[in-house]
Amino acid sequence: MRAQSPLRLVLGVSGVAAGLYGVWSLRAVEWADWPSLLAYLVGGVVLHDVVLAPVVVGIGVLAARLAPAAWRAPMVVGLVVWGGLTVMAVPVLGRFGALSDNPTLLDRSYVASWAVGTVLVVLAVAAAGVLRARRVAK
Amino acid sequence: MRSVPKLPSELPLPVQATDFRSRLRGPQVAARVGIWLGVCFGTAFVTGVWSHYAQSTPEWLTMPTRPVNLYRVTQGLHVVAGSVAVPLLLVKLWSVYPRLFLPVPLRPSRATVVQVIERLSIGVLVAAGIFQLATGLMNSSQWYPWAFSFRGTHFAVAWIAIGALLVHIAVKLPVIRRSIAGPVEVDEPPSGRPGGAPLSRRALLRSTWLAAGLAALATAGASVPLLRDVSVFAVRTGSGPQGVPINRTAATAGVGAEMVGAAWRLELVNGSRTMTLSRSDLEAMPQHEESLPIACVEGWSAGATWTGVRVRDLLALVGADPSDGADVTVTSLQQRYSFGVSTLPANFAADDKTLLALGLNGEDLVLDHGYPARIIAPNRPGVLQTKWVTRMAVST
Repeated sequence: MRAQSPLRLVLGVSGVAAGLYGVWSLRAVEWADWPSLLAYLVGGVVLHDVVLAPVVVGIGVLAARLAPAAWRAPMVVGLVVWGGLTVMAVPVLGRFGALSDNPTLLDRSYVASWAVGTVLVVLAVAAAGVLRARRVAK
Repeated sequence: MRSVPKLPSELPLPVQATDFRSRLRGPQVAARVGIWLGVCFGTAFVTGVWSHYAQSTPEWLTMPTRPVNLYRVTQGLHVVAGSVAVPLLLVKLWSVYPRLFLPVPLRPSRATVVQVIERLSIGVLVAAGIFQLATGLMNSSQWYPWAFSFRGTHFAVAWIAIGALLVHIAVKLPVIRRSIAGPVEVDEPPSGRPGGAPLSRRALLRSTWLAAGLAALATAGASVPLLRDVSVFAVRTGSGPQGVPINRTAATAGVGAEMVGAAWRLELVNGSRTMTLSRSDLEAMPQHEESLPIACVEGWSAGATWTGVRVRDLLALVGADPSDGADVTVTSLQQRYSFGVSTLPANFAADDKTLLALGLNGEDLVLDHGYPARIIAPNRPGVLQTKWVTRMAVST
């Protein structure tokens, strides 16, 4: 513990300094834009802690009650991979930034790729679930 | 007279940390995912600060003109690191979520103060971290549903995020060391019993690495040509007129065909010496061919072959030598959006590879690529590769 202290002190002090520089750099934000900035800063945490996390907990509780034991591991793997990539892809899936005069932007079939990926994940989870259930039965 | 209700010793919470039963949550997973999340945030921070300074270079800094693909690599890395961080952050937050419901002591004591400070620093870290990933990925797809200016705010919050991350590492270092040094599986192996853990921590970690790897593959094709067919979530395919995508069209920038007809002239200014050139005057000058990328802040890039006149040859016409250290102010015909006027630093203006391009991949530039003439320089963010150039003035 004692041997770690200098490193922790350096990390802590430089962290506080970097954070303060960031706060100071925010002085460039116009007063009128602060509500929007605060909404984004707080909104992300609220969206995760109050919406996304409880939904995932709920899925876990439901799966523990309803899903056959052999299926639950593949379902977790499927959820981690599918969920992580889906959240990451929200901006392109919605094509919110698309511009009518610029066909070179967001020029892929994102939803189709996502749908194919979703089907592949479901098939992989199902295949793993069936295989594991058979192995348990033996 | 009503008596003052006695303050409870702890904040009453509807959910307690002990209500969460999954033994997969905890420091063994949090520390291992956290290290890679830290690598992603560190990479995005360093490349992001670099990009910020490439766009508006402070006095004390001279950006290098070599390697020509440097900005292409750093900005590609920036966006891929942010994309990969999304699945990592989700698993990381999942692994520590019960700690949100730890008892909050209300009686003043040293422990209360320490806990409040730690919770605030975590709150700042999570808020800044989510903010950076969300606004960064949204910007990458050119989606800006907010009032604040993106670049300045993303830069400021990056410092807050990296600062809070360093403080978090400082606070958690003993826990991190203990978790990494110890075994991944610290208790019973997963059982098939209802209520038991469905899989091992190792399996959860492998799933996380799989998700992170797929996130990289799904986005990296925006800058890595080899991955173009694989990157299904990349913001661009890399195709476009003359083989290069367009960031901002002439119509969006307010540049009409009538502004770039036979009457278009390039004005060169060096103090009192001025000169105006038509497009055919430019075509009559020695032409050079350079292979240079367009590399945008949104993380996409594309290599191309450009032909045109060396900027230093043009400056020589008005008696200026950029080797003397004078920057060049480049003005575009564009009527809307930022960077209509850009500064070409002296070392870029002096570089043989910096062209006022007239052609792209063997054809005359199309209007959306900046016809009649545009700047193309090595190792520069795309927003500074000014299109529809109308004036170049040497700073005096």
